[in-house]
Amino acid sequence: MKEAQKIIDLNQADPQKFRSWNFLQDFCITCGLCASSCPASGIDGFDPRKVVRMVSLGLEQELVDSKFPWICTMCGKCEEVCPMQINIPDLVRSIRGLRDRDKVPGTLHKGLQAALKTGNNLGLPKDDFIFILEDVGEEIAEEPGFEGFKVPIDKKGANVLTTVHNKLVNTQNEDLKHWWKIFYAAGEDWTIPSDNWEGTNWGYFTGDDEAMKTMTGRILENMRRLEVKTLLWPE
Amino acid sequence: MSTRSGFEKHFPEALNEFAFVTVFDLMIQYIKEGRIKLDRTRFAGVKATYHDPCNYGRKSQRLFGHAYYEEPRWIMDQCLDNWVEMYPTRENQLCCGGGGGTPPTGYHEERFHYSRWKAESIKATGADMLVVPCHSCHGQFNAMKKKFDMPGLQVKYLWELVADCLVV
Repeated sequence: MKEAQKIIDLNQADPQKFRSWNFLQDFCITCGLCASSCPASGIDGFDPRKVVRMVSLGLEQELVDSKFPWICTMCGKCEEVCPMQINIPDLVRSIRGLRDRDKVPGTLHKGLQAALKTGNNLGLPKDDFIFILEDVGEEIAEEPGFEGFKVPIDKKGANVLTTVHNKLVNTQNEDLKHWWKIFYAAGEDWTIPSDNWEGTNWGYFTGDDEAMKTMTGRILENMRRLEVKTLLWPE
Repeated sequence: MSTRSGFEKHFPEALNEFAFVTVFDLMIQYIKEGRIKLDRTRFAGVKATYHDPCNYGRKSQRLFGHAYYEEPRWIMDQCLDNWVEMYPTRENQLCCGGGGGTPPTGYHEERFHYSRWKAESIKATGADMLVVPCHSCHGQFNAMKKKFDMPGLQVKYLWELVADCLVV
């Protein structure tokens, strides 16, 4: 985690670089409240104040190369305490978006690519998805009080459309049951789409607005295709 | 939250075409309309606490003009006799360290370093159960149990708590 802290070379500064970014970054009064409030301060030699100042100075390469924007969780604590209301989380997200896509750390971009291609981050085929849902549904039907439970997949005209977080059809199938039981007990008319069911939207994390739009648009397509009345916002 | 902000940004026309509901409001609706009944004695003897996710707090306040602080607490009250607040909460809460897509980045050591203050907050409550309404937080807290020596802590989704208390 500790890396030798590089001296920032101000000859590289280009204050015009991020002029089009509208996060109030140039209004930073360098008070340091953001840096003191941030649990990630110090990692990689960065802290929120330094990031804001470096954006003002247009030190693009150092920002893009740093892992700090990827460790920052964009939690908004810094923005909350900032007396100038600088939008640091969106500023960090914009820095993330400047990374070459093949250098986005870990599986974030790979998961997103899978989602764009297959409709879900796992690349889980439709038949396998349906098998998992029905299997878990049968387990619920065996529990007292939930007799006759069935998973309503692609039910036209349902009231509520739900999405599925990919981890629930990966390693955490048991956690599919909670909402389903609540729906059953409430007598809700609900449904799950068999295509484009992904509830996460990793374009948000990688700073990829086009991908975000595509994933959101697919949920809307499902709402229109299935003629549902309501969307339960993904948890 | 990403889906909701995606709709507001890219498909605002759909906001008039359909109804939309948050997990909190849907559970509250079911409870208030009497469509589900909850047994508050199910976790008698268990001391619980609640974690405010960034996305339902500060981020929702900024993006949608409303932070979900009171709704989950009302739901907690319907399910539990014995739950305590941690410190800090609401707009001052600490992120769990698993937000912003950090778990799939591979920066695990950094992610747990981030969560060291949160671990102290949780331990200070003396709670056996930590209730969260967010998938990212849920995964992060489960991973933190080993790292911060909290083996007995039960991490529970808010809707899991409701499902566990259902009277059917």
